[in-house]
Amino acid sequence: MTTQSIISTQGLTLWYGETRALKGVTMEVADQKVTALIGPSGCGKSTLIRCFNRMNDLVCDCRIEGSVDFHGNNIYGNGADPVDIRRRIGMVFQKPNPFPKSIYENVAYGPRVHGVTDRARLDQVVEESLRKAALWDEVRDRLSHSAMCLSGGQQQRLCIARTLAVGPEVILMDEPCSALDPIATAKIEALIGELKQQYCVIIVTHNMQQASRVSDFTGFMYLGEMVEFGETAQIFESPREELTENYITGRFG
Amino acid sequence: MTDKFHDEMAGMQQKVLGMGLFAEGMLRDAVEALRTQDISLAGDVKARKGALSSQNDILEEEVYRMIALYQPVARDMRAVACALKVIASAERIGRYGKDIANVVIATADSRGKDLASGLAIPHMAGLVLSMIDDSLRAYETGDLEFIRHHSERDDVVDALRHTIFREGITYMMEEPRTITRCMNYLMVARYLERCADHSCKIAEKVHYMVTGERIEIK
Repeated sequence: MTTQSIISTQGLTLWYGETRALKGVTMEVADQKVTALIGPSGCGKSTLIRCFNRMNDLVCDCRIEGSVDFHGNNIYGNGADPVDIRRRIGMVFQKPNPFPKSIYENVAYGPRVHGVTDRARLDQVVEESLRKAALWDEVRDRLSHSAMCLSGGQQQRLCIARTLAVGPEVILMDEPCSALDPIATAKIEALIGELKQQYCVIIVTHNMQQASRVSDFTGFMYLGEMVEFGETAQIFESPREELTENYITGRFG
Repeated sequence: MTDKFHDEMAGMQQKVLGMGLFAEGMLRDAVEALRTQDISLAGDVKARKGALSSQNDILEEEVYRMIALYQPVARDMRAVACALKVIASAERIGRYGKDIANVVIATADSRGKDLASGLAIPHMAGLVLSMIDDSLRAYETGDLEFIRHHSERDDVVDALRHTIFREGITYMMEEPRTITRCMNYLMVARYLERCADHSCKIAEKVHYMVTGERIEIK
């Protein structure tokens, strides 16, 4: 990979109890690029993305071998702080999950938790984050309204704004559009294109057309293994592995 | 991609192959008409042009519809792209067949009826037809062995065209009354050479369809 990598894994293996969900995954994720992970259900792509900000810590019976380096430091090493890691590596989930609070408070929540109390500073962070999430113009006049009044697509962009508010470097997206209609999906996809100017974006998606539309690199996973990883155009034009070919052309999966 | 796509794709590949063989048949019969000076066969070849065009239109439309409906990727995308290129080359080959048929009709009354054989046009046509046939067989079976020597075979065809040009000039210098027929035959040699190029184009696309690698056959 020619571009600078920000996250790299080495022999990453993950066990849920007796089940091995990841089998020695070694990969590099480029900064300021969009990396898509595709593969059939249960192939480990969500598990992998969750390793990148230690979300699997919350799953009991979960055990990890190998390493995940973020800027060269193992995030599972001694002294790594999960809270700091999750601030720097944010996550957006499948179903929009705004807090039952105002639009403003949703975005301001993270910075507040991280100690920002100055109102003017918070106002600025909220506006900046909403602008970056391409939501500002739609909500600027109703910041005090409940976030639950927004449409699904707006709620998802609010969740992205909430992630951006704490100043992350990496944004993990786990099926961010699967609960959205095509127009809301198109907006999120356009937004992903904007975000990569500044952030590293990793997206898990079931929608292969989405992966081919938005990503620079694509990884195909199967049964916990990274079968093939490469530039998206290469994967979708002439994949090297027959398994990849069979999956993306719908011959199985 | 669904099985529905793969079923439709298999059906389309058969139709593309059918169009290729149809075009090859036009060229073959045109050359035969030239060799035997059979004006009625030449007329028959001309009459097939409409059917060739409509096959091209129908298949082209079908390719666009498949892309719009299924957005194929990888091997499937390459198969669809290949189909589009094969029908384009097939149409050109068939049209050259029609052009040769026109030559047969236009030169029916001129002097030098045995010139075509003298100029080695039937020999050249045989080589070109076998190249087209092998390109189509490679398309049908995915077996690249059929097209492995296309580059060398194309060189032979090119060399033959030069030979025919030189020979044609000597005939014309010897007997100016053969000029009309000779000039037409030199055009035929040119058409046949272009048909060999189209068979190479088909071979390139089949290679891409099968391997994902783009090559140039010169």
